[in-house]
Amino acid sequence: MAKKASAAQTVRQAKIEAARKNTGSGANKIVVGAIVLIVAIIGVVGAVVVAQQNKQARVGTSTAVPAAAGAMGEGFVANKDVTLVAGAPTLDVYEDFQCPACAQFEQVMGATIDDLASQGKVKLVYHLKTIIDANMGTTHSLTMANAALCAADAGKWQPFHDDVFANQPATEGQGWTDAQTKGFAEKAGISGSALDTWSTCVEERTYAKYVESTEDASGKAGITGTPTVLLGGEKVDFQQVSTPDALVQAVAAATK
Amino acid sequence: MNTRVADGLGLIARLVLGAVFLVAGGLKVTTPEALAKATQAYQVLPHDLAAYVGYALPTIEIVLGLLLVLGLFTRISAAITSLLLVAFIIGIAQAWERGLTIDCGCFGGGGAVSAEDTSYLPRILEDLGLLACGLWLSWRPTSFLSLDRLLFGAGASDPTS
Repeated sequence: MAKKASAAQTVRQAKIEAARKNTGSGANKIVVGAIVLIVAIIGVVGAVVVAQQNKQARVGTSTAVPAAAGAMGEGFVANKDVTLVAGAPTLDVYEDFQCPACAQFEQVMGATIDDLASQGKVKLVYHLKTIIDANMGTTHSLTMANAALCAADAGKWQPFHDDVFANQPATEGQGWTDAQTKGFAEKAGISGSALDTWSTCVEERTYAKYVESTEDASGKAGITGTPTVLLGGEKVDFQQVSTPDALVQAVAAATK
Repeated sequence: MNTRVADGLGLIARLVLGAVFLVAGGLKVTTPEALAKATQAYQVLPHDLAAYVGYALPTIEIVLGLLLVLGLFTRISAAITSLLLVAFIIGIAQAWERGLTIDCGCFGGGGAVSAEDTSYLPRILEDLGLLACGLWLSWRPTSFLSLDRLLFGAGASDPTS
């Protein structure tokens, strides 16, 4: 009995010694831990800094705000020059040029919205968003939004905007070539020196920061999906307002 | 429980939890803006802070995933991972409760989706399963094929043994 106990004790002693040896000859836990921690911190801080820099590089430095938008973060009023009918509601349209659902929406409702706007029945306000850029790591939404606002400077916002949606690439995220983008401008009726001005505006990304500001402001307001349409501040439910006629009726109902 | 069985379970928990975090981080790390927006869509953190969390999170997930797969500093990695999972579960649950219709953005994507495309319950159940792995490893971090064992010796990271 006593012998057995002492044998067990010897085994235990050996185990303890083995454990000690292991700890002694093994790697230093603090050193390894410090290395891991430093690498992790560098990685995380690096990722944040790079993301931040990329964002800044993408939007450039121009702080120009389109004439038809009041300030950074505010929507772009497409029919600013049209005299509104009394009590006309505001129609806020949140769109991303790369968003397939937006192209569908434009196909169904676009022409009707253009009419409502040109007749002054609504104050038409576009809020350009760049969600697909974020999701797919592209810059096409931003580039095209800037190009469209450059076209607005030439007074050709609506045809440019409509044409881009009508010619959305088959594959989401594929984007448009520079030549295609210029084609939209020419087709919208921008030519001569106005086309040169447009090209400079596109190259200098004049309104990129403004577009980023509307993306940010709308995101802050909880509008993270496109297309989102607000009529008189109320979100339009496309299940109910599914046809151009229904939209015209909803606008009439919202006119005070 | 038999030590060998427990060590085997530890290995499985490490690989499952680590692999999911590695994949989740890897899928998001190339599109930081997407996660910044996805984080903002939860409407919990202040808007700008949410963007930074979105930028940082994929790398944090990759680091934790790597540590878990390799079995290095298993206990602390598993504990941090468990805390993150609890935060994710709370984030998803509050979005559900408040009636937000967003994609969790767990493996990329994120932001608003239509109401029928939300999948709050499956995501929460998924995270609870992962949390079980994390809690097991926090409680009993020793396992087969771990760097902890290789570098620091048997049971070095497990005061309970």
